[in-house]
Amino acid sequence: MKTAIQAELPAELLAEARAFVEQGSVGDFDELLAEALRRYLESHSTPLAESFIREDLAWGLRGRE
Amino acid sequence: MCDAGPLIHLDEVGCVELLADFPQVLVPLAVWDEVVKHRPSALTHDTVRYQKLTHGNALSTELDVLSRLLALHRGEQQALQIAQAHPGCLVLTDDTAARLAARNLGLKAHGTLGVLVRAIRRKQKTKDEVVTLLRSVPSLSTLHVRPALLEEVIREVEQSQ
Repeated sequence: MKTAIQAELPAELLAEARAFVEQGSVGDFDELLAEALRRYLESHSTPLAESFIREDLAWGLRGRE
Repeated sequence: MCDAGPLIHLDEVGCVELLADFPQVLVPLAVWDEVVKHRPSALTHDTVRYQKLTHGNALSTELDVLSRLLALHRGEQQALQIAQAHPGCLVLTDDTAARLAARNLGLKAHGTLGVLVRAIRRKQKTKDEVVTLLRSVPSLSTLHVRPALLEEVIREVEQSQ
């Protein structure tokens, strides 16, 4: 199932994304947007982010330099 | 090596001077420009030894692939590229993807909260001062940390020796 959304994007970013689509690097703008969102969410997952914060805490308290 | 996040977030809570404890704070050009645009005051502390660096040649193959896979921004790419050229360099970033890339490249990376907590160990701040700073993060900074996790961090700091 797909859902239409409305979003406000910076003009430069939008132009760059449209040019990317026109180059044929991706099927269409919807596909580019979905892939960008998917990759962002995968690489910024909450468990991963929180594991890094716990690492920061351990380093801050007990790290060696 | 510092990404924009820690510079901006530390300045937002009034603590950029904690970076004075590092021999040098390498700032890639793209990061420098980003901080100048969003938080110029983060780059004006006399005690911090900033060094603005232009990025070198092409990205290593590994970094190039990671950058694409993780959709790293230009500043993050430059930070990791320069860190690769400086063995033993610590990468400071609050971006999860950049930290993931750093780990894959064998680079040590930490973020703003690590620098704040480290201030106790390095005797730059007292434990109480750091707890106050940590409590100010949600209201003073643009660093997003889940409230329950921040409370967990604060609790552990309070209970630390």
